[in-house]
Amino acid sequence: MASLIENGDNPGMIQLFNVGKTYSREQAALADINLQIEKGEFVYLTGPSGAGKSTLLKLICCAERPSRGQILMDGRNITRLGTRYIPYLRRNLGIVFQDFKLLNRRTVFENVAFPLEVQGRRRIEIGKKVYQCLQQVGLEHRLHHYPLQLSGGEQQRVAVARALVGDPLVLLADEPTGNLDPDVTLDIMEQFKAANARGTTIIMATHDRGLIWQFPRRVITLEGGRLVGDHVP
Amino acid sequence: MIRQTGYFLHRALRNMRHSPVLSLAAIFTVGVALALLAFFAIAVLNVQRLTASWAADLAIVAYLEQPPDGATLNRWVSEIRAYPEVAEVTYVSREEAHQRFRQRLGHDAELLDGLGAEVLPASLEIRLHPERRQETAVVVERLSRNRAFGELHYAREWLERFEAFLLLLRTVGAALGGFLVMAALVIVANTIKLTLYARQDELEAMTMVGATALFIKLPYLLEGALQGLIGGALALLVSFTVYQIILRESLGNLLLLTGIDTIHFLPPAWQALVVAVGTLIGLVGSLLALRKFVRFCQ
Repeated sequence: MASLIENGDNPGMIQLFNVGKTYSREQAALADINLQIEKGEFVYLTGPSGAGKSTLLKLICCAERPSRGQILMDGRNITRLGTRYIPYLRRNLGIVFQDFKLLNRRTVFENVAFPLEVQGRRRIEIGKKVYQCLQQVGLEHRLHHYPLQLSGGEQQRVAVARALVGDPLVLLADEPTGNLDPDVTLDIMEQFKAANARGTTIIMATHDRGLIWQFPRRVITLEGGRLVGDHVP
Repeated sequence: MIRQTGYFLHRALRNMRHSPVLSLAAIFTVGVALALLAFFAIAVLNVQRLTASWAADLAIVAYLEQPPDGATLNRWVSEIRAYPEVAEVTYVSREEAHQRFRQRLGHDAELLDGLGAEVLPASLEIRLHPERRQETAVVVERLSRNRAFGELHYAREWLERFEAFLLLLRTVGAALGGFLVMAALVIVANTIKLTLYARQDELEAMTMVGATALFIKLPYLLEGALQGLIGGALALLVSFTVYQIILRESLGNLLLLTGIDTIHFLPPAWQALVVAVGTLIGLVGSLLALRKFVRFCQ
């Protein structure tokens, strides 16, 4: 099966084959998930709390290992990827969390520059790229501020800039608008749409039906750890 | 490479600036532990010097029943000089012995007024080659065959006891040093661990944006090494200050009685060793703290 998977004729950006994840014997966090997400797609992951949306995102970014099944990213099997290769995989990913996860002791500029520093990019290149990215999210005038000096919406825009600064192949967003008011939510969605238009595959976990209705894209629905729906509205 | 080193050093310094209390605690702990060790090393080194100087003065003294005539004396001296263990033979006449005793009594020399040189025996002072000092007993046994020699006096047993004391001092120093270094190591490791707990969000963010384990660890390793280096330098500064103010003057005067003219500070190689040990403590402490932590974050 592994050879079949790795030599697929038209591999999607992300493919899941019979993926399951169990933390305890009683209940599986994810069970038997089969899924293909194409390059450049924008996908919502939806479902009630505890449906397994965050677990699925964690499996894709290798923060957790699946208990069974295989996951492929850009044709490469990442299921048993060695620990030392995981950082290099993550450099192709941008991740946005509901609680931003910004470094409060670092300025906006330093937060956004961080993924590029990690990749060992040159300072001059970092400066240019970070400024461009902050311009895109409309925060270039706030680059010397610290996260706690910003509003929630501004902090999430910084988080989006940080996720996009490395031109990732895939952007994973876990309830990115969960704590934001409607105006800021629209703003963040516009940022995602723009990134998607530039070719980034986007997987966004949300249970905001209004948002899905407003920005219709493919919707994958999970319930009790199982895939119960996959449709384009 | 230089750019990378500069970046990691910058991050290590920033980490220290952000947690000044923890950093100072680590530096202080390394400093105190190494300063105590430095004092022990100063004590051992100086006692060692003292033993060496005493050992150099040690001689077998063969007291003569009667002062010999010139020919006999020359024969004895030639015979003894022929022993392979012997470096030097000196004849001390009754008059010289009297003169030495007078000098040693100093202000009380008048006690000898009225007593002639004949109250003291003439003697032969026999010094051995330093490397053959262990063979004192053999030489004494050979000398005792000459009936003209009365009492044979030598301080080997005393020297052996002193050397045993020196060994004890070194052992205590090593044990205490080991204990202090371990304590410093644990404290530095825990300090770094506390810093890591305080920056858990930063570590998590680093792993999520693709930082390798080495990229995460290096600034913390540098931070530990820097704290250890500063701690080591502090230990050196404190021990040198105490040496200048107390040891060299006050204790030095006291020890004049034992024959030590000055107390010496640690030689440069030992000073470098103190700083190197401090750096190593910091480095190993950070490694211990990071071992589990970064694995957990990955």
